[in-house]
Amino acid sequence: MPPKHPKTDGLGPWTERILPTQLERIRDAEHEVLLRLRELGYGDDCRFAVRLALEEALVNAMKHGNRMDQSRCVHLAYRVLPERVEIHVTDEGDGFDPAKVPDPTADENLAKPSGRGIMLMRCYMDEVAYAGDGRQVYMRRQRRA
Amino acid sequence: MKIVTRNEGNCRVVALVGSADINASEALRESLVGAVESGAARVVCDLSKTDFVSSDALGILITAWVKARGRGGFVRLAGCQQRVREILAEMHLDRLFEVFPDVAQAAAAGG
Repeated sequence: MPPKHPKTDGLGPWTERILPTQLERIRDAEHEVLLRLRELGYGDDCRFAVRLALEEALVNAMKHGNRMDQSRCVHLAYRVLPERVEIHVTDEGDGFDPAKVPDPTADENLAKPSGRGIMLMRCYMDEVAYAGDGRQVYMRRQRRA
Repeated sequence: MKIVTRNEGNCRVVALVGSADINASEALRESLVGAVESGAARVVCDLSKTDFVSSDALGILITAWVKARGRGGFVRLAGCQQRVREILAEMHLDRLFEVFPDVAQAAAAGG
């Protein structure tokens, strides 16, 4: 079970951001998280992985969760610890069942233009877990040696 | 991301320079899908200077591929950097796209 975004567990503070549902805001959020990773000495591979997974999660939250409704926001919370990075992305939509997302690598889905975001998140993060009827996703990646 | 378009032989080459992230999607769609829709059925997408591809960018590549195939043509990928190759492999898109080491080989290949 993913942590429920505890505000104080003694492991380090969470940084929280409220993003309007505007795709152009995603880049700044990514830059902020990547800068923190760089400050703590995380390598290129990890920063690439987190950038990709975070972009997918934020795009999903805005496009599919909030349906690009600009009256809704996306809540981003993250913390970068010496041994891992953790991210929560929460949208204000109606929720969904991630188990019902088709496998994009199945032959019949390869030529479909969408449906790859969650799989990319799972490929590049060590843990991806949905909660809140699909409105919240938790992602974690451990630092590699 | 910058998009540079040129011709090589009888192929249209669309080079993506930088990160094919969500902010680049609109320009990518206009350039790549637009090229196919305006008659360029033989397209090589030069990814030699592309350091990042989002799922949205993959979707646009696929849309262009489907449209080109429907016109008897192709969208081939060339010069993919390692991380992009890994993403293609994870998504099994190396089974969909022909991937070449460089633009010249992609343009010269038959079909």
